[in-house]
Amino acid sequence: MIAALDLGLIFGLMALGVYLTFRVLDFADLTIDGSFTTGAATAAILLVGGWPPLAATAAGGCVGLVAGLMTGLLNTWGKIHPLLAGILTQIALYSINLRIMGRANVPLLRTETLFTPLREAGLLGTFVSVSILACLLALFVSALVWFLSTDVGLALRATGDNEGMARAQGINTDLMKCIGLSLSNGMVALSGALFAQYQGSADIGMGIGLIIAGLASVIIGTAIINNGRLWITAVAVVVGSIIYRLIIQAALSIPWFNPNDMKLLSALIVIVALLLPRWDVFNRVRARSRERQFVVEPWDTPDPEELDSGDARPPSQGVTKKAGRKNNA
Amino acid sequence: MLEVRNVSKAFFPHTINEKIALRDISLKLASGDFVTVIGSNGAGKSTLLNVVAGRYRPDIGTVWIDGSDVTKLPDYKVAQQVGRVFQDPMAGTAPHLTIEENLAIAYARNRKRRLRLGVTRQRREVFREELKILELGLEDRLTARVGLLSGGQRQALSLVMAAFTQPRILLLDEHTAALDPQRAALITRLTEELVTRHQLTALMVTHNMEQALSLGNRLIMMHEGRIIFELGGEAKRMASVGDLLAEFEKFRGSGGLSDRTLLS
Repeated sequence: MIAALDLGLIFGLMALGVYLTFRVLDFADLTIDGSFTTGAATAAILLVGGWPPLAATAAGGCVGLVAGLMTGLLNTWGKIHPLLAGILTQIALYSINLRIMGRANVPLLRTETLFTPLREAGLLGTFVSVSILACLLALFVSALVWFLSTDVGLALRATGDNEGMARAQGINTDLMKCIGLSLSNGMVALSGALFAQYQGSADIGMGIGLIIAGLASVIIGTAIINNGRLWITAVAVVVGSIIYRLIIQAALSIPWFNPNDMKLLSALIVIVALLLPRWDVFNRVRARSRERQFVVEPWDTPDPEELDSGDARPPSQGVTKKAGRKNNA
Repeated sequence: MLEVRNVSKAFFPHTINEKIALRDISLKLASGDFVTVIGSNGAGKSTLLNVVAGRYRPDIGTVWIDGSDVTKLPDYKVAQQVGRVFQDPMAGTAPHLTIEENLAIAYARNRKRRLRLGVTRQRREVFREELKILELGLEDRLTARVGLLSGGQRQALSLVMAAFTQPRILLLDEHTAALDPQRAALITRLTEELVTRHQLTALMVTHNMEQALSLGNRLIMMHEGRIIFELGGEAKRMASVGDLLAEFEKFRGSGGLSDRTLLS
């Protein structure tokens, strides 16, 4: 349960990156399957090489920035379709990741990492590690929300919302796409660097299908909490990531499932999350409860004494007199 | 202020579908000029506006704004000096951003965009003042999402966004055509007010001849990529819709032009 919180927060950073491209920039970026691993691979190989953990993690994030920029350039300068641009970078990164690591897997078990102090103190997977990660995520959420409220950030949001308008307002939309993709993949790679250190290894396959987890987090988060305000949406995405991990963990605890079913489960979760809002079940339930509120029941019509009392207040919506009387009694 | 020199533009050149939109057009706007453009569909009015805005690059000729050649600049760079309002009320604003965020984006149009908060208390005051002119109550709804506004309100907001940074040129592309008559009248009134208030140089395309006559100090009529008739000053004030139709009549034989296409 608590391990799922840890993971949810680490992957929350990745989900924020996905939110930045998919929702803010309206760009279906598939680069992240590759850049997540790139971040992990870079951090891992530098850690093994004796770099200080913080520097190695930061370097992992920076490589992600470059990966995002590549997709951005393919799309804007090369005029390649967003989906294809992302896939091209992603597949190129697969080879690059192998080059970085030199093999398919780099273990970090006896290497000093960011999580070593916590692990040695036996605090990993406890509320201590959860609170530390929560603080880290709070920092990133605040930074992202602040950035999106600046002049540059607003230009980036306008680019995703109405590109024609953005250009008419003097915004270099190509540059904005590159900035957005770069930042997004930077966050994803940083998340990868953290995850590699958390699980104690970097692996060539660790990013496969990650986009699904990111999408699921964004969809679940914004479906549960959505009032349209920027920072609430950003928090919702992180919450969505945690919920997603909890669902996965709960599903894996069902005896018949084993860890190899995880990708299948994650696909199913996204399908359900996408279809559920469209099914009428919820709308019907909601509509019925609404109907119930407005039905005029006999006790809703005023009795003679009430008419005489001069009480002209409109009957309050949703609360029938019957309910009111019950409370009085 | 604005000069269009011998501009020609063809779409699908050297193909069977070749369409010459502009034929050697020259036009000069002095500072403070408000020119209305009328003409039948396909006369090249919108192409002219798009060439000025840098959206289309002319095949031949140059465009000058305030003494500098902007012919080869990308549209977003030209936009730093040019405000635009489109026919589609949805085109000029970002629906998922709030009113104040939209205004902040427009506010930064001719400034360098930096990592500074877009909506500050100071700017909010400026926005409120500008929105008050509209008399639509938008100044009290600064944090409302623009997608929630009606078409007329969005077009009024687009107009403010295009005008309040005092662009060198204001381009209006049939910006009242998609609105109901009442809203169209409102936007027409606001256009006049804003152009006067900010002393703008404006180029407005319209299909409404009365509007073309009542607004601005000059009028040009286009047909098949050419400027066929021009009115200014006193002559424009005295002219009636009938006079304009009579002018069109002259070109009827040559181009198969009919009142119906003009007035549609």
